[in-house]
Amino acid sequence: MIYFDNGATSYPKPKSVVNAVNYAMNNCANPGRSGHRLSLKSSELIFKCRENLAMLFDLDNAEKIIFTNNCTTALNTVIKGTLKSGDHVIISSLEHNAVLRPVAALEKQGVSYSVAEVVQGDDEQTIGNFRGLINAKTKMIICTHASNVFGIKLPVNRIAAMCKIYGILFCVDAAQTAGIEPISLKNSDIDYLCTAGHKGLYGPMGTGVLVINSERTPDSLTQGGTGSFSADINQPDVLPDKYESGTPNVSGIAGLNEGVKFVLNRGTENISSYEAQLAQRLYDGLSNIGRVELYTAFPDSESCAPVISFNIKDMDCEQTAERLNKFNIAVRAGLHCAPLAHKSMGTLEKGTVRAVMSVFNNRAQVNYFLNAVNKISKV
Amino acid sequence: MEKGEIMDKNLIIFDNMTRLLRAKELLRKNGIYSQTVRTPSGAGKGSCGYSLKVRNNYEKAFELINNSGIKVVGVSAVDYN
Repeated sequence: MIYFDNGATSYPKPKSVVNAVNYAMNNCANPGRSGHRLSLKSSELIFKCRENLAMLFDLDNAEKIIFTNNCTTALNTVIKGTLKSGDHVIISSLEHNAVLRPVAALEKQGVSYSVAEVVQGDDEQTIGNFRGLINAKTKMIICTHASNVFGIKLPVNRIAAMCKIYGILFCVDAAQTAGIEPISLKNSDIDYLCTAGHKGLYGPMGTGVLVINSERTPDSLTQGGTGSFSADINQPDVLPDKYESGTPNVSGIAGLNEGVKFVLNRGTENISSYEAQLAQRLYDGLSNIGRVELYTAFPDSESCAPVISFNIKDMDCEQTAERLNKFNIAVRAGLHCAPLAHKSMGTLEKGTVRAVMSVFNNRAQVNYFLNAVNKISKV
Repeated sequence: MEKGEIMDKNLIIFDNMTRLLRAKELLRKNGIYSQTVRTPSGAGKGSCGYSLKVRNNYEKAFELINNSGIKVVGVSAVDYN
């Protein structure tokens, strides 16, 4: 199998990740509750993962790292824990449903939202579009770091700086970039960073991360046992306990810890450079196939994450994906849970075929993929 | 917390397991061994249920943690022997 569906989840996982999950299943018990060896080992393992994530995101305090089930849960925590009736929020035109749906749900409770158009290749215009939508009620801007469909990157550090000037909270969806693009939250004006643990961080599915990089903390959406302040009926206000009620996904976090170590050992700059080269080769090859339609400019690593969307003219994207499957190639077709992004790029009606590579892919696989697309396009 | 209050103590009490483990790592990096133990009942109001037990260099350990900004909610003494 040539697996180019790493935008959905990375595959394969490093062996160390699989081994760590197995180890935790056999050697860990409920963390933060009991004093026996298995419980303490579990707590320490979770803490190590927090520390490694803090290192990855250039943070000096592991308490800012919150474990969630996935990126969607992290985003819901920020969105629903922050926005109240009467508030206004701005999102980008490239958002995933993980942002759009909770915002749309809050609209029924009196929260208003606006969509800022992202202009590929023109960060000034993109920032201007966000700025033009700010009003007296705007409480937060939420945007993806890079589109999960088209790879287009947003100038998040510049948007963060703008938010600071206006006193607006800023949340970044880094589902497609964590572990792939260098991200430093040290001295950053990004208040909240949400990401999946199972994509560029190579952890197991069912893991996600919320980074709280602000004194302004969202309300917790879930209350319950944290192993701390047990005599108090109120949810603890300290991080990370505030957001981590109930038994955590210890085996998942154990695997995530190894995934993060894998990324740290390779270095995000090296990963970014390697994947960008593959994506560029793929893009170049696709652009030379007559019936292939591409939707973005050349994916230079400054402005694009290594995500390529395309179609074969007059062929349904699902049919293209199915034909690639017969070549033993895994891709994802359709709307990728991002109707806003497809609407913005004019592909809402037909969807696209998406190819996302990881460090486990190589040039030979890209060549095989291009050969397969070429053959399919001639059918 | 005044220095006098920590004499003859061997437990440092935290409100949060993550803070405790940050402190433990800080001590390890400074060559001080500590052990995670359950806080004895009634010993620490606001405890997360866990404390760091430091047999040697207790005062230095406390100072290191205090200077790092990691919140400590109390100190106590315990003999599990």
